[in-house]
Amino acid sequence: MIEVQVRGAAGAFRLDVEFAVPEGGVTALFGPSGSGKTTLINMIAGLLRPEAGRIVVNGAPVFDSQAGVDIAPHRRRIGTIFQEGRLFPHLTVRANLVYGMNRTPPAQRYVGLDQVVDMLGIGDLLTRRPATLSGGEKQRVAIGRALLASPRLLLMDEPLAALDAARKAEILPFIERLHRDIQVPVIYVSHAMDEVLAIADTMALMAEGRVVAVGPVEEVASRADLYGAAGRPGFGHAETVIAATVAEHEPEFGLTRLAAPAGALRVPRLDRAVGSMVRLRIRARDVSLALSRPSDISVLNIFPGTIEGIDDHGNGTVDVTLDIGPGPQLHAQITARAVHDLALGPGARVFALVKSVAIDRYSPAPASEPSGGGT
Amino acid sequence: MPGLTPEEWSAVQLSLRVALLSTAVSLPFGLFFAWLLARRDFLGKGLLNGIVHLPLVLPPVVVGYALLVLLGRKGAIGAWLYDTLGVTVAFKWEGAAVASAVMGFPLMVRAIRLSLDAVDRRLEAAALTLGASPVRVFATITLPLALPGVVTGAILAFARSLGEFGATITFVSNIPGETRTLPLALYSYTQVPGGDGPALRLAVISVVLAMAALLASEILARRVAARLQ
Amino acid sequence: MVFAAASTASAIQDIIALYGARGAVAASFAASSALARQIENGAPADIYISANPRWMDALAGAGLIETASRRDLLGNRLVLIAPADSPVRVDLSAMPALDALLGDGRLALADPAHVPAGQYARAALEALGLWPAVAGAVAPMNNVRAALVLVERGEAPLGVVYATDAAITDGVRVAAVFPESSHPPITYPAAIVAGHASPAVRAFHDFLFADAARAVFAAHGFTLK
Repeated sequence: MIEVQVRGAAGAFRLDVEFAVPEGGVTALFGPSGSGKTTLINMIAGLLRPEAGRIVVNGAPVFDSQAGVDIAPHRRRIGTIFQEGRLFPHLTVRANLVYGMNRTPPAQRYVGLDQVVDMLGIGDLLTRRPATLSGGEKQRVAIGRALLASPRLLLMDEPLAALDAARKAEILPFIERLHRDIQVPVIYVSHAMDEVLAIADTMALMAEGRVVAVGPVEEVASRADLYGAAGRPGFGHAETVIAATVAEHEPEFGLTRLAAPAGALRVPRLDRAVGSMVRLRIRARDVSLALSRPSDISVLNIFPGTIEGIDDHGNGTVDVTLDIGPGPQLHAQITARAVHDLALGPGARVFALVKSVAIDRYSPAPASEPSGGGT
Repeated sequence: MPGLTPEEWSAVQLSLRVALLSTAVSLPFGLFFAWLLARRDFLGKGLLNGIVHLPLVLPPVVVGYALLVLLGRKGAIGAWLYDTLGVTVAFKWEGAAVASAVMGFPLMVRAIRLSLDAVDRRLEAAALTLGASPVRVFATITLPLALPGVVTGAILAFARSLGEFGATITFVSNIPGETRTLPLALYSYTQVPGGDGPALRLAVISVVLAMAALLASEILARRVAARLQ
Repeated sequence: MVFAAASTASAIQDIIALYGARGAVAASFAASSALARQIENGAPADIYISANPRWMDALAGAGLIETASRRDLLGNRLVLIAPADSPVRVDLSAMPALDALLGDGRLALADPAHVPAGQYARAALEALGLWPAVAGAVAPMNNVRAALVLVERGEAPLGVVYATDAAITDGVRVAAVFPESSHPPITYPAAIVAGHASPAVRAFHDFLFADAARAVFAAHGFTLK
């Protein structure tokens, strides 16, 4: 377990956090800018001292204000990958890569240079200087450098934030592969939900210096009530995250049928083996409601359900939460007028319509499966 | 060396020797105090900064007198040095080196501190997370990145030493072959009726040496900076 | 404006105070050589008092002083000094082993290469046959007062300065007085700078030779010409 209970400040910003996450896998630290994610990461890495609290990694405390424990950052063996890379400009890529490795006793090393270079595809960059690298290449080297120090925990502070979409798509697979092949626990900070859905197993939601929820990604990502807490207008929209498996490919029209707890879903052809796990993300605004099951309609995914709750935003839109059977509740965002015209209220029986093309698919990779990524 | 009398040549050699020793000895201290002022906060930091810069603003003769009081054979520290270690720098070229080192110290510290300030602290933090102790971080990251400033600081102190007069003559007097550096020899000639000729020659030599030092500093600093790219 | 050799500083200041309401007089004190250079370069001096005839001759040769006004004003004695707590006694007529007395210390004096006090000191030591023994163990200072400070602080076991310098501090004692025959007479000529001979300047110049002023000089240890 990785347990963190800290209270502290960085400048005028106050942090008061308590959470615990499993040791293995990827834990996402998700929240808007200014919620304290970087401050928390710096505390775990030892670069910032909390006022009080406890940080335990792998059963051993690296910080405990009551017991007077405060292990210096260079002794914590917690690797950090920063948003801006922070490669050493006066050293070659190779020298950067082995910087941490050279300071790790051979007995504690679990990766080698060749292995990491292959995995990240940076073999032909070794003699270059950081200034000559592209953003994506820099981040790959940064990841390699942190990894080669054989850390027992890897912190990634928005490593893709400074990259454009194409670079992100290029690197995300490396990060997935990282935790699959090397099995070092990762805490991944991000304010981008699609990154989180692509690679994380557990998610901790942060807002205004506090951890508001912790749990498996599907559960926490779906909780619309938390987006109010996560705070800022425009951050976090109601959405539903569902774990499903690939049931069958339907080649005639290029579709894949997925088996979700609540029923079958069809999406455009997904390049995954039958039986593999897929994470689906359905944005509430892509869900329409009907009082009767429509026919002669293009939508392929229709779920009967009962309205559990209606949340009026007061700006003409309304969040409707539906119980569609086993699995997470489905969120739909419709106009207040529609609610009025259809006389919708809790308990009403409706049909939820989800367009196939509107569903985002993510394939987070548990250790035994081939990896993939993105939509 | 063609065209120089033995006395002139002696003054040149002595000046170079004094400048080299003074720079070499003050470099570790310069690095330490520049690091302290650039990276640490503590009570009395402003006072320390002021003391470091004193030789820059005090009349050189005052500094020389202070050195006499502290490091002379009967001085506060000099007496102990002489009695316990049998070591003294009074009236020796090593004393001239001490005078130069003190006078050049503020220039050295300023230059090094400026370049230490310019080193990205986030790089140092990254190095810490990779397992390097603070000392290793300084040696492998901070110092190499601050090198242009260190080079500049050293050469500034060296050049300053070549021109050092007031503190030197007050502390170690004007002994030919021992403490009569170029500036002191030059001064002596200007004090003698008809000594303008030799004084001018020595002045030219001083200018040539100082320009060479400053040019070397320029080239070295640029080369080092280029290696960081 | 009076440019006067450094060793006359306190005496001249007392005399200016004595001159009082008769006129405003400013004075600048430095090594005779430095003052002469400044006058050569057009410094606004009206009267020049040198510790050595050579610099006065140099200015005269360049036509920078009013020759008619040149008169020898003062004399001085050369003394061998030691720190106040040193018991050393020296009889200069008996060929004393100064190098033995110095030990591993140095003889403090003004730079014989260019400072008048140093030139007199070297001449005296040479005349007494003592120079070869100490030539390698001297500490040539920029001016005679700096040599005095060295001996006062005990940094130099012996020094050669003017009698008037030794008189201003209790930190040194006179170990011996150099016979006047051992060195060229220490003469302080005074002259008016060429082109500056106004009535006010002449008045002060004459005052320097008046009895009241001479009494002040004598009190400071100068001999009178």
